[in-house]
Amino acid sequence: MASKRKVGEAKLEKEELDLFVDAPPDDDDDDDGDDEDGDTSDSEESVYSGLEEEPSSEEEEEEDDNSSDSEDHGTEDTPNIPGPATDVTTGSAGTSSTERLDNRPPPDEYEFDSSDEEDIRNTVGNIPMEWYNDYPHIGYNLDGKKIMKPAKGDELDEFLNKMDNPDYWRTVKDKTTGEDVKLTDEELDIIQQIQSGKYPDKAYNPYEPYIDFFTHEKMIHPVTNRPRDKRSFIPSLVEKEKVSKLVHAIKMGWIKPRKARDDEPKYYDIWENDNQYTPDKRYQTHIPAPKLKLPGHEESYNPPPEYLPSEEEILAWNQADPEDRRQAFLSKKYDALRKVPAYAGFVKERFERCLDLYLCPRQRKMRANVTAEDLIPKLPKPRDLQPFPTTLSVVYEGHTDIVRCISVEPTGQWLVSGSDDETLRFWEVATGRCRKVLQLGGRVRSVAWCPNTAVCLVAAVVDNKVIIINPSLGDKLVYHSTDNLLNTYEAPESLETKLPVEWVAAEGKEHDTGIRLRIAHPKTIRQVTWHGKGDYFAVVMPDGGSMSVLIHQLTKRRSQNPFRKSKGLVQCVLFHPVRPFLFVATQRYVRVYNLLKQELTKKLMANCKWVSSMAVHPGGDNLIIGSYDSRLSWFDMDLSTKPYQTLRHHKRALRQVCYHKKYPLFASASDDGTVVICHGMVYSDLLQNPLIVPVKILRGHKVTKNLGALDCQFHPTQPWVFSCGADTTVRLYT
Amino acid sequence: MASSGPHVQAKFFTKQPQFAVSEDVFSVPATVTTLELNDLINGLLNSADGDGESLRREFDFLVEGEFLRLPLNTHMQNKSLTAERVVSVEFLLRQPAPEPSTTIQQEDWISSVQGNRDSILSGSYDSTVQVWTRSGQSLVSGTGHTEPVKAVAWVKQETTGGQFLSASQDQLIVLWDWDREGGTAVPSLCCRGHARSVDCLATHPTADRFASGSWDKMIKLWSLGDAEEDEEEERLRGKKKAKQDQLGPTRTPLMTLQGHSDAVTSVAWVDDVTLCSASWDHTIRTWDAEAGVPKETLTGSKAFHSVSYSNLSYLLASGSSDRHVRLWDLRSQKGVLVESTLTAHQGWVSAVAWSPTNQYHLISASYDKTLKLWDTRSPRAPLYNMSGHREKLLCADWSTPDLLICGGAEKQLCTFSYSNLLTSMPDRQQGN
Repeated sequence: MASKRKVGEAKLEKEELDLFVDAPPDDDDDDDGDDEDGDTSDSEESVYSGLEEEPSSEEEEEEDDNSSDSEDHGTEDTPNIPGPATDVTTGSAGTSSTERLDNRPPPDEYEFDSSDEEDIRNTVGNIPMEWYNDYPHIGYNLDGKKIMKPAKGDELDEFLNKMDNPDYWRTVKDKTTGEDVKLTDEELDIIQQIQSGKYPDKAYNPYEPYIDFFTHEKMIHPVTNRPRDKRSFIPSLVEKEKVSKLVHAIKMGWIKPRKARDDEPKYYDIWENDNQYTPDKRYQTHIPAPKLKLPGHEESYNPPPEYLPSEEEILAWNQADPEDRRQAFLSKKYDALRKVPAYAGFVKERFERCLDLYLCPRQRKMRANVTAEDLIPKLPKPRDLQPFPTTLSVVYEGHTDIVRCISVEPTGQWLVSGSDDETLRFWEVATGRCRKVLQLGGRVRSVAWCPNTAVCLVAAVVDNKVIIINPSLGDKLVYHSTDNLLNTYEAPESLETKLPVEWVAAEGKEHDTGIRLRIAHPKTIRQVTWHGKGDYFAVVMPDGGSMSVLIHQLTKRRSQNPFRKSKGLVQCVLFHPVRPFLFVATQRYVRVYNLLKQELTKKLMANCKWVSSMAVHPGGDNLIIGSYDSRLSWFDMDLSTKPYQTLRHHKRALRQVCYHKKYPLFASASDDGTVVICHGMVYSDLLQNPLIVPVKILRGHKVTKNLGALDCQFHPTQPWVFSCGADTTVRLYT
Repeated sequence: MASSGPHVQAKFFTKQPQFAVSEDVFSVPATVTTLELNDLINGLLNSADGDGESLRREFDFLVEGEFLRLPLNTHMQNKSLTAERVVSVEFLLRQPAPEPSTTIQQEDWISSVQGNRDSILSGSYDSTVQVWTRSGQSLVSGTGHTEPVKAVAWVKQETTGGQFLSASQDQLIVLWDWDREGGTAVPSLCCRGHARSVDCLATHPTADRFASGSWDKMIKLWSLGDAEEDEEEERLRGKKKAKQDQLGPTRTPLMTLQGHSDAVTSVAWVDDVTLCSASWDHTIRTWDAEAGVPKETLTGSKAFHSVSYSNLSYLLASGSSDRHVRLWDLRSQKGVLVESTLTAHQGWVSAVAWSPTNQYHLISASYDKTLKLWDTRSPRAPLYNMSGHREKLLCADWSTPDLLICGGAEKQLCTFSYSNLLTSMPDRQQGN
């Protein structure tokens, strides 16, 4: 083969073919015979060409060479042939030959002059040709004479032939005749085609265009033009006769309709209703036993170092309760598996596992799928409720003691504050400038700016006196006319002073400072509050007994006691902003009196221990109450006499609550030094409840002497809040 | 410039011709700051000079119209600039810090101040109005108001004296005739009409009229000319009110502009016919001062304390109670919008004033005791903070190009000298 390769290198493209065609010369005789069978059917070669060849002298040698291979079946026997290509050839040749042999016609076919007949040069038939290996002949010809094996050259001849003969590669041996056959180009083509897995016939086109015998198109003309038979449209007499017979038989009852077949199945599905089968309740709620955890690195006798517990972890493990331990054992390292001691908890754990598997009742926990957030009502974000005061802007400094009370001028330019340092200070709101200081000679408990913009008056409470002051701030015209108004008073002739209240007009120096009137009361006063029109004001004397609430009229300098007897310790009073109502807060109740009809219209349960302060919504239907037990209650008076909502934002007692006149805001000042701003939207729609959202905690006041913020008031036009406290300051938050 | 991390391509240019550098594109680290860029530009300039003299100058860098204050990549992210393009960086000489020059101690809180050439006018809570030289010498003190003076304004100033206005909480506006040599200030007119404290004044650019705003929600326009009928009217009244005569003849307003629903805190002239006013009712309004009708309303969310208009940038600056200085563009047709918000103050902004010479610079005084010099190209941080005041500031003024004045509750008038680098800008004198 190697030498052949050397020669064939010039035609490398044919190497594959060489490899294939190389084989037949090496092949033994039996193979040749098969090849002959397969190939010679279409062969052009003369049948008798081989017969004429004379057996060579080396015949015997060749037989000796091939004797070792002769045991196997000839068609399959290709032991000397290397490479797959030859396998394919022999295989294909073999199969084709066997087919031929199977379909071999009976002997009488010799009578015919068929093309197959010409092939029969050797009459031995389809026998393994190695049977003739030991003989000089190879079979018998038609005449019954021996066909001698052709002369075969020795190895050298073979080699020379291989070298010299250019057609050597296409020369194969005919097994039946033993002669060399040179394959024609057509045969080579067929072999090549088969080898490459194609149709042997090169000219055959498997993908010829398909010609429809019947066209798929709808033709308008009939296939035949023959006119229809007459009988095709004349009713058949025979059939008519048959039908009439059947009808007659049915009429006569000879033919009975066939019995309806019952479609009931003979067999039924016993598992048909299996799906509807409801198993035992116990099985329904079957809970499989928990699976055992697979052992991990912790269980290893030689765990990685990060699994080994440190000293602290060992200590913690030892100290923890068995239930609380994350794992039931401590990982420990052994240098050999045989040194691992018996596991102490083995029996216990097995036992518990057994309990788990078959004894322990398991219970399904029904858990409500509700998160805590869902239970909280959805409130708008404070950011969306702007504007409200957020930052400290101005600090009004000047007082030297606790500032107890503040009040804002109705237009918002001025602020008055009363303090324990016995002074009243007037501040410019915008700048924090103190414009006036008024010595009053006593602690100022309460101060209120007259809400009427046509007059300029401030009422302040010092001990048992109410002092009416004209601060001479703001519009010149207004404060001059206020003085004129006060001066026009003429004392009535018949003085019916049932009440121990004394009105004294200030004169001289006192008048110059701004003080206009002093109203002396029998007891210490706690609070003064104006009516919205600015003519009446009410004072609260908690110790006054039946006189604990008095209402004064400024223009007539007259006092009234609206109540004959007190219903409790009055904490504060308030006029309704638009209607003739008076709110009176005692320790636990707020009573609403109609001043015109002089009757009690409502009694609100404050739901707290001690009311400290009270404020009415500018609309007049809502009320907030601050109490010393650090609660703020919102009352919707149309809704109920009980609080609509109670807010506990403060840690300590509430001192003051207030509403903003324009914005939906309210504030509360507390002893913990904070002022809490809440958004309190009241809707004109009666069906909609007020919306209350806490928006801001304002810190700033220092808690001194256990007192924090003592008063808070909103600016009348801006969303600003003022607060005063025990740290001697008044603060403005904007 | 060798450093790891991403780099960006930057191109440097300047509008100041003496510092022109080549238009080369530099690759600078993305996290570069002003400091390193300064080194780069200084190195470029020094190498270009080539005389070995290494003079260090401080520059500021403008990227996309805003000063570089953060690392470059952060700045570009904020401006949503892509790092793949060449960034144009403008550099300009850094504005030197204003230097404190004079501190004038006064008797009481200073409510208002206005400078003019070499003198400073101030109004005080002790009901006086005073004129000072720049060095702090008192020139004259006008007494006559019975309540704190809330606003002052120059009308005209000559070498021999001048005229100025003062408004007070006693509801009066007084025009003073100041004789410099004699050292006297005599009230020559007394404007009556406001019903509450008069909080702000603005002299018309032609100095023949002025506007005033008051707590009574009104804006009034007054004439400064010698109106004879007024005096005749005054004569008719006779000596009914002798007290008023001390403050000169009474003048009534030409016009009242009504529309604000809360106190008017500041007025300013936009041009000869347009007046702008800020109020606590959360609006800034502009008015046609000829016809006396409102023109536009700018609505904010907080009470406004102060407003100032710049003829150079055509922007309106407002100071409000929410700690921000806001810039408004009145010219924009599609509704007036806040151009930008300058946020750094901690308290109410009590006064704002534009630079008369630099279209980018303005000052703001706040209750947080600082005066800030802003560049509108750096809205996040002011150029300079002038802190050290012990009390809240109530007023600030920048009428004189090289002088920043502020005063407040610490009873001191503080002045700072400002050097304008924009020499190409024509000097503008205001007031006269």
